[in-house]
Amino acid sequence: MADEAKAGHLPNLRGTAAPADPYRLPRQRRGQTPQMHGRYPDYDVLDEIAEWDELTRGVVLGRLDDVPPRRFFTEPEWNALTAFCDVVLAQDSDPRIPVLAYIDEKLHVGRLDGFQYADMPDDRDTWRLVAQGLDEAAQAAGAASYESAPCEVRARIAGEFSDGKPRGDVWDELNVARAFAVVMRSVLAAFYSHPWAWNEIGFGGPAYPRGYARLGIDLGEAWEGGEALDVDPVSDVKDRGLE
Amino acid sequence: MRAVLKGSLRPKDNDSAYLLDVHRRGVPGRERMCRYQDSDEVDMLIVGCGAGGSVLAQRLARAGWRVVVLERGPFWDPDSDWVSDEEGSSHLYWNDKRIVGGSDPVAMGKNNSGHGVGGSMVHYAGYAPRFHPSDFDVKARDGVGADWPIGYWDLKPHFERVERELPVAGQDWPWGDPHRYPHSPHPIGGAAERAWAGARAHGIEMRVGPVAITNGVFGNRPHCIYRGFCLQGCKVNAKASPLVTHVPDAIEHGVEIRADAMAVRIEVDDAGRCTGVTYLRAGRERFQRAGAVAVCGYSIESPRLLLNSTSSGFPAGVGNNADQVGRYLMVQGAPQIAGRFPELLRMYKAPPPEVSSEHFYETDQARGFARGFSIQTVSPLPIGWAEHVLADGHRGAALREYMRDYNHWSVLGALCELLPQSENRVTLAGETDQFDMPIARFDYSQCDNDRANIAYAKQTMHDIWEAAGAQDVLSIDRYAHLVGGCRMGTNADASVIDQDHRVWGVPNLFVCDGSVMPTQGSANPALTIMALASRLGERLTAKRVTPQPGHRANAPLGARA
Repeated sequence: MADEAKAGHLPNLRGTAAPADPYRLPRQRRGQTPQMHGRYPDYDVLDEIAEWDELTRGVVLGRLDDVPPRRFFTEPEWNALTAFCDVVLAQDSDPRIPVLAYIDEKLHVGRLDGFQYADMPDDRDTWRLVAQGLDEAAQAAGAASYESAPCEVRARIAGEFSDGKPRGDVWDELNVARAFAVVMRSVLAAFYSHPWAWNEIGFGGPAYPRGYARLGIDLGEAWEGGEALDVDPVSDVKDRGLE
Repeated sequence: MRAVLKGSLRPKDNDSAYLLDVHRRGVPGRERMCRYQDSDEVDMLIVGCGAGGSVLAQRLARAGWRVVVLERGPFWDPDSDWVSDEEGSSHLYWNDKRIVGGSDPVAMGKNNSGHGVGGSMVHYAGYAPRFHPSDFDVKARDGVGADWPIGYWDLKPHFERVERELPVAGQDWPWGDPHRYPHSPHPIGGAAERAWAGARAHGIEMRVGPVAITNGVFGNRPHCIYRGFCLQGCKVNAKASPLVTHVPDAIEHGVEIRADAMAVRIEVDDAGRCTGVTYLRAGRERFQRAGAVAVCGYSIESPRLLLNSTSSGFPAGVGNNADQVGRYLMVQGAPQIAGRFPELLRMYKAPPPEVSSEHFYETDQARGFARGFSIQTVSPLPIGWAEHVLADGHRGAALREYMRDYNHWSVLGALCELLPQSENRVTLAGETDQFDMPIARFDYSQCDNDRANIAYAKQTMHDIWEAAGAQDVLSIDRYAHLVGGCRMGTNADASVIDQDHRVWGVPNLFVCDGSVMPTQGSANPALTIMALASRLGERLTAKRVTPQPGHRANAPLGARA
């Protein structure tokens, strides 16, 4: 069990226990977060758009207003990968950030990351192979596809993938651990470039041209959101006798 | 007296900060920039408009040389080309494919490679430390790496000159050759306060800076607004990059910067002199004549261009008859350790580079390895933080939990001096790019000294967080910076260029960028690359190195459009 003097909600400090239930957190009261939970329930970064330069505003709001259509992935690939993204990002209810749509667009226009491992195919091929591999792994577990597999099976396959474990026809064409790194790089960039995710984590957003004036410990700008419950999780966990 | 005048001294021979516009961020005067014909034989043709190429161009132009710079990327206008957004800044990086191999392959792209006018300094953090005097003779001192053909004292006047041009802000510096900075230290954010307190408790000195960010108004460049997007290109013009520190003055003195021009081959005649560069622009192959050529494409592209420039005298690529081009390429080990605190630190505020320490820079036999490392605050934005959390092994609900905790964390990064090894090198891969040019392959493997250095640095950062009272730590292994690949030396069999940056065997071909460095220290390389270019510029214009004796009598070329 986690030491009570430590931040008990943090996975490293919980030993083998599962991560804390995110639905314990307050429901977002202002704006949106993925799954509507977060630590800053009264903070909406989109309240500040009038303070952003026009160019940046266009790029950020474009993520909300113009979700790209599916062009790169085939429908089966899309279904498997959507389910996979939900697992690795713990997006288990609506509203969800449509991460795969942004990734599809990037791969469709060929906006890649500037390097390819010598023991890996092109990133675009890696993504297709991963989709295929997920379906094959699900079929080996008795499901029709990764998407239709039971929750625990999807989680188990994703977990094995992240540990570089899966073997089989498709996986053998890849350095599996590297394939996970390639895929996650895009998944995380798509998720944490979305303003809903910024609301969830209390990030100040573009801040140009306004900038910041209050830099010190526990100092915030007037418009920055306060944290949920306005207490530190350490003392909160202790006070409420949760551990 | 200099302490009193801090911030008010302007560089004597660089008006860039005053040539910028107060109300716009783009470089003014591009419409009346000098233009040369491909058939004009310019005095110096520079390939690459980054830290090396821009400074060299400015220095030569000030002395009346006719200079053209070929730049593969765009001529950036921060107002219209850059956004204040992490993912929206991916076009700043060199995103063309490179193959990375070896037992410890190095991520490229946003990690270390830029393109466009300003080069990688457009998206570097802003740290501008000097090399230490010991960096220039590590072989003699510690029996590892290589000795430079020049010493710290050759570069010192240029360090000082470039520090004033950028300008660099920071506290008086106690390490290496102790020195002051032209601008006062910036205020620091909560995350850096926690890191500094931990270091102090652990008995390690840290100092604010050195960062190439104006503290106060500098010419027409404004004060930093502490928005934290240094790695995404400074829309404010407060952080230094050649785009604002050397390009405006270069253009004013007659340099043509030809953006969107991809150099594919250096042409060398049968007499062994180079005659110019073949490049692609707007889909057309062209050839720019030149009396001398300086390659300033950094550690991947400079070797790639030399290797691709084959001729009868150089069947394996120009300057590569001793099979040295592309070898001894180095990266710095850059592990990061994050510490968690109960208070809200909000590390996204203030520039990511804030306080640093060179306490562990020099060799200490008791540590069990040669050379050392520096420690700096790094403060990633959300996507960078997510990569950090992922690297510590968290996914799904656990990853989201750490991400929600973002504002409670402070991140320290080390820069470990990894040693030059001949098999860590750039070669040409079989695959070609959209210009029909073979793409670069970069193989990288660590040696035992490298692994010991990185492990020690990580342990030190752990200790700092423990001393600071951090509740939890997360760690990530990564690399930063590129150095070497066309190293300078005293003999043609073990290096690519001589101490005056001249490619062995080709009297009018130079290399002037991070690739020339035989060792890398634990300092961020930008300032040293600029100082090297400044020194070469001085030597060329003082005719202590002459690419082409008697050449300067030509009729004037070039015209203002």
